[in-house]
Amino acid sequence: MDKKLEKYLDTIDKNLRPLPASERVDIVKEVKASIQEMLGDGLTTDQVLVRLGDAKTLARAYLGDLLAESRGFSFKRVLTICAFYSLVGFSGMIVIPCLAIMAPVFIACGIFCPLAGAVKLVDYLLGLGIPWVADIGVYLSPSIKLGPVAAFFVLILLGAAMLVAGILCWRALVYYCKKVGQAKRYLSV
Amino acid sequence: MNLDKWKSQIVRGTLEYGVLLMLKDDTCYGYEILQRLSRYPIISSTESTVYPLLRRLQKEGLLASSWKESAEGLPPRKYYTLTDEGRAYLAQMDAGWQSLLEAIEALKGESSWTKS
Repeated sequence: MDKKLEKYLDTIDKNLRPLPASERVDIVKEVKASIQEMLGDGLTTDQVLVRLGDAKTLARAYLGDLLAESRGFSFKRVLTICAFYSLVGFSGMIVIPCLAIMAPVFIACGIFCPLAGAVKLVDYLLGLGIPWVADIGVYLSPSIKLGPVAAFFVLILLGAAMLVAGILCWRALVYYCKKVGQAKRYLSV
Repeated sequence: MNLDKWKSQIVRGTLEYGVLLMLKDDTCYGYEILQRLSRYPIISSTESTVYPLLRRLQKEGLLASSWKESAEGLPPRKYYTLTDEGRAYLAQMDAGWQSLLEAIEALKGESSWTKS
């Protein structure tokens, strides 16, 4: 391909800079393929360039709405990006670690609680007297302890509640990450 | 000339419809779409209009695309097809277009009726 055409594609690529790299590569590839089709149809380099028009105009058409609001440097855009990263940065410091810890812990507790209740119940019914199992139980206050059968059902309910809480935490974490990704793409930063 | 401005305004809204119609039963690559549009002077468009339009339609989920390496010597081609969503959108456009035509026809009839 002609030097002039290479340079043309290069100019397009440079002017597409606000877009993510993957999208730029795709656009340039499509324009390049189009140029090759034209050359294949017997157009000369200059004819191709005339037909495609100014490289900057073509690139700008791709940016469309993105640049319609902010051609070149825009104070508002800088502020928006700053706000975005401040918000995501600060909220992420709290939200991500909290949810990432809470989700698996809740789920583990949700599984463990009914298990412990079951062990206690079996121990009580069969009178096995397994060491430490006497310590398992549901304490309403330091001195009032529920009986093993009542404790078993309470623990099943408690376990189910924690399982649900764990799953909700996990979903919230995934939702948060997705939303941040979407917002980032929307801002194309 | 004002007529040209008017024409370009019409084309701007119609081009999207034309491109979707073209892809209704066919997969086409960008250059092919341009060539087929150039058969009709009124709607004939340049790369800087059609390619960004294709990209926008794809982003909106109306079109899907895939690159295909062509035979030897030929450049790779990016083929576009209509998605289900695009098909539904096109059906709505058909309805809109139909009512536009009816409105224009009715207005024409009305004006000739009042004159006579």
